[in-house]
Amino acid sequence: MYTYIIRRILMLFPVLFGVSIFIFIVMRIVPGDVAMTILGTDATPEALEQLRKDFGLNLPLYEQYFNWIGGVLTGDFGESMRTGQEVLPDILNRFKLTFELTFLSALISWFIAIPLGIIAAMKRNSNVDFGVRIISLLGVSVPNFALATVIILILALAFSYSPPVGYVGFFADPLKNLEIMIIPAVVLGTSMAGAVMRMTRSSILEILRQDFIRTIRAKGAKERIVIFQHALRNAMIPILTIIGLQIGTLLGGTVIIEQIFSLPGLGQLVLTSITQRDFIVVQGAVLFIAFVFVMINLLVDILYSYLDPRISYK
Amino acid sequence: MMSTLLDIKDLSVDVTIDKQEFNVVNNLSLRIDKKQKYGIVGESGSGKSLTSLSILNLLPDVLHVSNGHIMLDQTINLTKLSKKEMLNIRGNEISIIFQEPMTALDPLFTIEHQISEVLKFHEKYTKKEMKQLIIDMLDKVGFSRPKQILKSYPHQLSGGMRQRVMIAMALICKPKLLIADEPTTALDVTIQAQILDLMNALTEDYDTSILMITHDLGVIAETCERVAVMYAGTLVEEASVQELFKNPTHPYSVGLLDSVKSLGDRTKKLYSIPGNVPTPAQLNESGCRFASRCSHVMDICRKQDPPQFVINDDHKSKCWLYKDGGKKNNEHYQHTIESK
Repeated sequence: MYTYIIRRILMLFPVLFGVSIFIFIVMRIVPGDVAMTILGTDATPEALEQLRKDFGLNLPLYEQYFNWIGGVLTGDFGESMRTGQEVLPDILNRFKLTFELTFLSALISWFIAIPLGIIAAMKRNSNVDFGVRIISLLGVSVPNFALATVIILILALAFSYSPPVGYVGFFADPLKNLEIMIIPAVVLGTSMAGAVMRMTRSSILEILRQDFIRTIRAKGAKERIVIFQHALRNAMIPILTIIGLQIGTLLGGTVIIEQIFSLPGLGQLVLTSITQRDFIVVQGAVLFIAFVFVMINLLVDILYSYLDPRISYK
Repeated sequence: MMSTLLDIKDLSVDVTIDKQEFNVVNNLSLRIDKKQKYGIVGESGSGKSLTSLSILNLLPDVLHVSNGHIMLDQTINLTKLSKKEMLNIRGNEISIIFQEPMTALDPLFTIEHQISEVLKFHEKYTKKEMKQLIIDMLDKVGFSRPKQILKSYPHQLSGGMRQRVMIAMALICKPKLLIADEPTTALDVTIQAQILDLMNALTEDYDTSILMITHDLGVIAETCERVAVMYAGTLVEEASVQELFKNPTHPYSVGLLDSVKSLGDRTKKLYSIPGNVPTPAQLNESGCRFASRCSHVMDICRKQDPPQFVINDDHKSKCWLYKDGGKKNNEHYQHTIESK
């Protein structure tokens, strides 16, 4: 098991290497000029040339790449071309928000989705089941920006309440922090819940049809034990797969939700950096997001083998 | 005189398909005595498994008992028990072993956990006592290193070993009745005999009755004392095993016995009963359910369902040929043979 984890971590390097080359090349291909965005269209060609030289953009591409990646490997992600701020602390700072938002959304989605999915499976084809299926279909198909806008409108019009703008760390002011985070988390949580609910329902239904469930019933097990100890645990693998993908995606930042609620998260950082052609920040952030995504995948794989003894990584 | 353990009276099971009801087990009555080994034999689709599942109320949702009762110990009506009361019966008073050992155990839990569940549901033991009981039980079902098996997961065991685990699980609470639903069908021939011997020996130790459900007359001959032959949801013949093999009366039982190859007789072509078991939807309301495949069919067979005729003290047959009891209705029998 440990050798497996070590091997998987070693395998991260080629993946991240590929991502770094890809994002590096993409950022050079997209039209637009960072010097121009900084100095404006009125700038003299000499000034532009000087700025490009300062950023090292006149060097051959491979040299630019190795300068950057060499820094990354030593923990130096470089400085923003726009603000001159160091990139890594900025990413980590924004990741705190993104991480908290993801974590809250995931919790909300599990609290809604897993119990409802189980109930729907147990009372298959009942009114409860139809209700749950409609809710989950809505959750999957209503875009979260629409839901976010509707919630903001309702709160503003009916309760004259508007959520605070900006971000306060959880440890700085927990209440204020939760007040800021709760609405975006509910929006993201409900849209995540749809898929999880559907998977929970269908996966438990599938397990309840298995022979071993009949054996457990034949032993005299109460329905509670049949469902929670045996059916749910067996159904967990596909549910975990969906949850892992959702969390991986959310940790990469949620551009639209961050934009709607003016939250300075990772998504917003990437978006503004792209529009400003701030190469160094985009490259660093994308590489970081890729790293988080593969780590989540690794975590999910480890959880698989913990849940199911038949899955062993050798 | 042995006393009755399980008395099934006029049991009917219906299946609901597209809001229509079809009958799959029809007015079945049988009686299993204490310590008796009772067999039900029939083709697939004859309703033998459904009969066994309805004893423990384990029928799938689309099926339900529509008539009759099942008495345990002459006092407990299993068809009328609440869900909670039924939980005390399952695995404790009556256990069941299924056909497919490969899928009958939960793949995510150790053997120890799965056997200990039965004890937890029905008895009060400390963890240590429980572990010792399980080790003893695994030893009894023939594992040479029971302690190692405790920590194993089902996928690490072969089909035969898993069926032994199932037997251990079924018998650990010393039930009064063990239902074995095709327990050896999925196993290698060499393992089959071992498993049957094991079940025989252990149930004798525990004074447990067996209800053996099988399509294999060989299994019946090897393990059972009495046997019921089922066809399309009805019990067509019931007798002691010796009597049935010596003197089968119902044309279906005769066909069933003829379709088993015996070693001594290599020249005879293996017999097969023409046609298939009718599906529930194909059954007509009146008349004998075997009529369409029977080589001795008479007019009355198509019009009126035969009752159980008494052949002798321990032999009943549901066939119009025997309406005068043990004497076969020879006139008609001769006629059908000549006309062939």
